[in-house]
Amino acid sequence: MTRTTTAGRIGLAVAVFALLVFTLFPVYWMVSTALDPNAITRGADVLPSGISGEHFSYIFDRGNFGQFLTNSMLVGLGTILISGLLALFAAVAVARFRFRFRTSVLIMVLIVQMVPLEALVIPLFLQMRDYELLNSLIGLTVVYIALSLPFAIWTLRGFVATVPKEVEEAAYLDGCSWPRMFWSVLLPLVAPGLVATSVFAFITAWNEFVFAYTFMKDGSKYTAAVGLFQFFGENSTSWGPVMAGSTLITLPVLVFFIIVQRRLASGLAAGAVKG
Amino acid sequence: MPPESLIEDSAHDDVAATTSPVKSSRPRGGRPSPTLRRKQLGRTTRPWLLLLPSLVVLAGLLLWPLVKVGILSVQDYEVKFGGGVGVYTGFDHYKDLLSDGDLWRTVLPNTAFFAVACVALTVALGTLAALLLQRLGTTWRVICSTAIMAAWAMPAVTGTYVWVWLFSAGDGMMSQLAGSLGLIDPETTNWFTERLSFYAIATLNVVHHGFPFVAITVLAGLLTIPRELYEAGMIDGANAWQRFWKITVPTIKPIFLVVTILSTIWDFKVFTQIYLMPGGAGSNEEVLNLGVWSYQQAFALNDYGAGAATAVLLTLLLLLITIVYIRTLFKESDEL
Repeated sequence: MTRTTTAGRIGLAVAVFALLVFTLFPVYWMVSTALDPNAITRGADVLPSGISGEHFSYIFDRGNFGQFLTNSMLVGLGTILISGLLALFAAVAVARFRFRFRTSVLIMVLIVQMVPLEALVIPLFLQMRDYELLNSLIGLTVVYIALSLPFAIWTLRGFVATVPKEVEEAAYLDGCSWPRMFWSVLLPLVAPGLVATSVFAFITAWNEFVFAYTFMKDGSKYTAAVGLFQFFGENSTSWGPVMAGSTLITLPVLVFFIIVQRRLASGLAAGAVKG
Repeated sequence: MPPESLIEDSAHDDVAATTSPVKSSRPRGGRPSPTLRRKQLGRTTRPWLLLLPSLVVLAGLLLWPLVKVGILSVQDYEVKFGGGVGVYTGFDHYKDLLSDGDLWRTVLPNTAFFAVACVALTVALGTLAALLLQRLGTTWRVICSTAIMAAWAMPAVTGTYVWVWLFSAGDGMMSQLAGSLGLIDPETTNWFTERLSFYAIATLNVVHHGFPFVAITVLAGLLTIPRELYEAGMIDGANAWQRFWKITVPTIKPIFLVVTILSTIWDFKVFTQIYLMPGGAGSNEEVLNLGVWSYQQAFALNDYGAGAATAVLLTLLLLLITIVYIRTLFKESDEL
């Protein structure tokens, strides 16, 4: 549909180049600083002065970063297991049943997504302190389940709605009960959506900063995002280790995003746009 | 009840439940038999049983804290051993908050202008990226959308650190670059102390992180526009600019509305990206925004009541935008 002229081609190439630089440059700068043995004096050199793993070994040997990553992993896994299950049930309820207050439930799910974390962090901090769940991975997991749940319900609802009703009816005709139909028919068909949603829940937990920073005051309980903080000095920051830690936090998220990008995009479009 | 009998019991009835879920549960004519009534009961309670765990979690961890923050905002809350004690103070915190010159001079303008700048740039850049992706062939589209995904995937924490490192005084790449071009003296210039340059860097960070969502969503919308519309436009002699404003924009207007409102909500409550920048945690009062201010009052000054009042103000502002969002959603789709 477009007549491609030479000028148009050049314009397109320039635009692609600009887009790639803008999106990828921060990632490149992070990784190359992490590998550069003389990170701090690098200045504006595009290429690192050398390649070494010393910043990575520094954060593991001296910074206890392995513990932080394990904590983040545990909290993330706990979050996706429970929030995935709860969201699946809730999504089936709102996508497959018509009942009174259904719309009210959906609107509530939408509204709670908009609540600012700063408003929640004060009461939840006081509440968790009363229950003595500060400094506890379980307390943090419980909060993350609640934070990831609205989005998970909203997105999964779109995936459940795309499963044709005829498939369910066929299962009933074959003599399935509702629970049987749920586990043997609906679940496998929604599984890709469940995976995408779980990945998103995991990333929510993995990236979260405010709650982890407020709740976890004991160094051994830090999540990775909070643990990075300790490499900041009073006056100067050791950017090599900070970027090495950042790389380790970013890479799994990056890989996940690229794997699920198609599903994520369609799920978002279904959940956010079509209403 | 053994599972087999459950299957026998409900199998037949559920066909009706799924094929005609909207119809009233009362069957036509005659009184329902006891078994039938039990099945109908199952049909109405099942969605609630499925929803129950989620509702409990949301009520306990999101709704109740919201109520709690409202209660805290009219209290002076003191932390003692074995729990805190709240003393009712009426609307003192709100009076203090609204009569505070800093709120009107720095905090509110910072929050609002920053959000407006971020939203405008995010939507503009995201739309441009979507239009670009649409024109590309398969290979380049995959390469570019993967790059966009990489920007999206960058966590707020690490993304902020990278931007801070790029712009940090003295050693940062941008400082060195601007220094070698003779624009600044990298030894004496600190971009993070000035309000405007501080927020310019924060805007860059937030836009970089936020435009992928717009790009991917708008692209999904662009792909639904039938080609014939553009062909008709070209036959009528419309140039690319006119085709964009007369065909593309009106057709996917709902998507634009949704991404704009969602971006507004997200950019209004930016916290981490500001808090982690040098001076952003409260030591530089010039750059405070509502979220950081609330957090600082509560956790740095231990004035939970004042922090809660500020948080309530932020929540109310967001609620206003959310109501607009939901009304838009409803207008665009017949059923939710």
